[in-house]
Amino acid sequence: MSFLSLVRIEHQKVRRSKIFLILVLATVILWIPSVLNADLNFGMQAVGISPENSFFIQGFMAMAWFLFPAAMVVITVLQNQTERNDHGILKMLSLPVGTAKLCMAKFAVLVSFSAVQFLMSAGMYYISAAAASRTQGYAFCLPLFFIFKETGMMWASAIPMLAFFWLLAVCIRTPVFSIGIGLASIVPSVLMINTKIWFAYPMAYPFFVITSEYGKLAENLNTAPVRLVPWLPAAALITAVCLIISCLCFGRAERR
Amino acid sequence: MNLMRLELEKIRRTGFLPAFLGGGILAAAVPMANMAFRPELYTGLSDPPVSILLGANWQMMSMLNVLLIVAGACVLYYIEYADNAMRKMGTLPVREGSLFFGKAAVLILAGTLLLAIEAVSVCGCSIHWFSRAAAPSAGILKSFGFFLLMLTPAALLSLTIASACRNLWTSLGIGVVCVFAATMIPAQDFALTLFPFAMPFQTLGNHAADVIRNYAIAAAAETAVIVLLEVIILKVRRAFA
Amino acid sequence: MNIIETRDLTKSYGGFTAVSGINLHIPKGAVYGFLGPNGAGKSTTMKMFLGLTKPSGGSFVIDGMQFPGSRVQILKEIGSLIEAPGFYGNLTGEENLDIIRRILGLPRSSVSEALETVGLTPYRKQLAKKYSLGMKQRLGLAGALIGQPPILILDEPTNGLDPVGIHEIRTLIRSLPQRFACTVLVSSHLLSEIELMADHIGILNHGRLLFEGTPDALKRSAASQGYPTDNLEDTFLALIDADNRQRGGVR
Repeated sequence: MSFLSLVRIEHQKVRRSKIFLILVLATVILWIPSVLNADLNFGMQAVGISPENSFFIQGFMAMAWFLFPAAMVVITVLQNQTERNDHGILKMLSLPVGTAKLCMAKFAVLVSFSAVQFLMSAGMYYISAAAASRTQGYAFCLPLFFIFKETGMMWASAIPMLAFFWLLAVCIRTPVFSIGIGLASIVPSVLMINTKIWFAYPMAYPFFVITSEYGKLAENLNTAPVRLVPWLPAAALITAVCLIISCLCFGRAERR
Repeated sequence: MNLMRLELEKIRRTGFLPAFLGGGILAAAVPMANMAFRPELYTGLSDPPVSILLGANWQMMSMLNVLLIVAGACVLYYIEYADNAMRKMGTLPVREGSLFFGKAAVLILAGTLLLAIEAVSVCGCSIHWFSRAAAPSAGILKSFGFFLLMLTPAALLSLTIASACRNLWTSLGIGVVCVFAATMIPAQDFALTLFPFAMPFQTLGNHAADVIRNYAIAAAAETAVIVLLEVIILKVRRAFA
Repeated sequence: MNIIETRDLTKSYGGFTAVSGINLHIPKGAVYGFLGPNGAGKSTTMKMFLGLTKPSGGSFVIDGMQFPGSRVQILKEIGSLIEAPGFYGNLTGEENLDIIRRILGLPRSSVSEALETVGLTPYRKQLAKKYSLGMKQRLGLAGALIGQPPILILDEPTNGLDPVGIHEIRTLIRSLPQRFACTVLVSSHLLSEIELMADHIGILNHGRLLFEGTPDALKRSAASQGYPTDNLEDTFLALIDADNRQRGGVR
């Protein structure tokens, strides 16, 4: 069985799970305050950022710091619950599919959901920017290419974090622990992006990327620039380690 | 009391208590780490040490608290739904609401445990880093009593959500979205900060006495409303069973 | 004296009627076999007796009491096992029963008695989620029997058991009225099984009560209508088949 058809099966498993509802809800909740408080973007002279850039950056910072990681923790829980409730995993393990392949297919589904979340956010950004332009009489919309570049970069930088969450969900079987550790690990990223070892903390990556972009867009703000070394090697190492361990652990408890 | 003992027995091996212990230690580590890394930022300030410490760290600590409370509430009901235990409970001669009240007692107890660990840490920090902190105990007790009161509506609301949703992740998703929405609420807007999930972020140091009194009244009122909501949910569910 | 009586008891979901105006009479101290094919309305009726679902019409009385006014009082008298047994997977069999024991306010010894009765004593320290299908069923049964309630409602109690287990549980149910002076309402879709346990039978099909009485009365009634009577299973099948045909070939 090809990897792609396995991914398709995994997508099928989360049907009717209202997962899109959660993603939509998260996106809507993210942008509503931005539209309501759009006037605050005109008072950013101290930072030296234009209102339209400020509108964009505030929304995506809120997303990258907490909402997006938290939504991903919830999705990993969902993926595992559908498998473990009613022992679906046992059936899967009794079928001729490699467990590592199965594990990776599920991770691929997680990555695809994260992409959907970013796409929705970009779409919702344009809707809310248009709404804010209306209410404030000021053009808030930024060029499409810029938005795609930024969301794309945040999404790519989130992959090591997703690998870590996936590791938690696979290896920690007690739901309260995997959820708790996942959510708790998000909170310190505010502290971590201000330290020299931020690259060792994957949960801080998307937030670091957008914060660094903030520094570029705001004249009077100094944020650490994105340096690919040692970030890229560290990220690749973390991702690989997390995925290898989760593939090794996947389904182990059920096969005992 | 008996209700609570039952619920305590049910959460064995779910990792509930270790999670709260671990979470409490993690949250307690926040002010310590902050003080250890950059003491110069805080030791020079003239406010009372407890206010400085809470002002610098409470946002992050309370965020951990609320997230743990949400996850804890979800697990308390997850064990009921996972293997149909809820149905067995439905056939036993107990009032339906008692299940909720037992769980609420356990969750608030767990919240108290969290806050107690954090209080010890804040107390320790103020003694270690601030020489003039002779007797921080009264201020700390007052602060953490206030935090417990502010945490209660959030705890009850997350339990109500968890009791309404059979699916662990649905209640978790709603809870997390609510916590996030709470972090987006501007602190100046009193009415908006009355959102149950936003209340735990409030500190005594930031408000005048009358505002604090209003928060306390609001917390009590919200608690009553949420309990009523749960009773209605139970009634409606039974009516449509 | 009847311990449970229903009058035109009806339950419909939307346009579908699961239970249609049935009048049951369950005598005190009897083993009452509730018989019918899958989807006949047996579980729905039992759920109504436990207050798990509300009747849409008619009424019933359990030991002189009614829902919802005497809910707690009624449930104090009933031990039940409905559909798949409900339990806490994270607790051991013993701990699961201990929770029920505390709610019922029973002495500590009742847990070990119940475990002994269903033969789970050697496995009492195992987590319930690690139990086999049959052991889960036994745990559910123990949860119903604990404290020797005066009324037992058992929905297909032999589900998932092996032949030896089925025989054991049947013998146990048969002996319950003498041992604990209780009334048992037990459902099954197998007449052969009910025949071995029950002294009263109610046959349900598509929510309607086709027959109520003793096995002997069933034989007599079947013979008078020209159905085969040498084997009760055939009698049951013929009864159901005739009813289905009468309803216009719906199965």
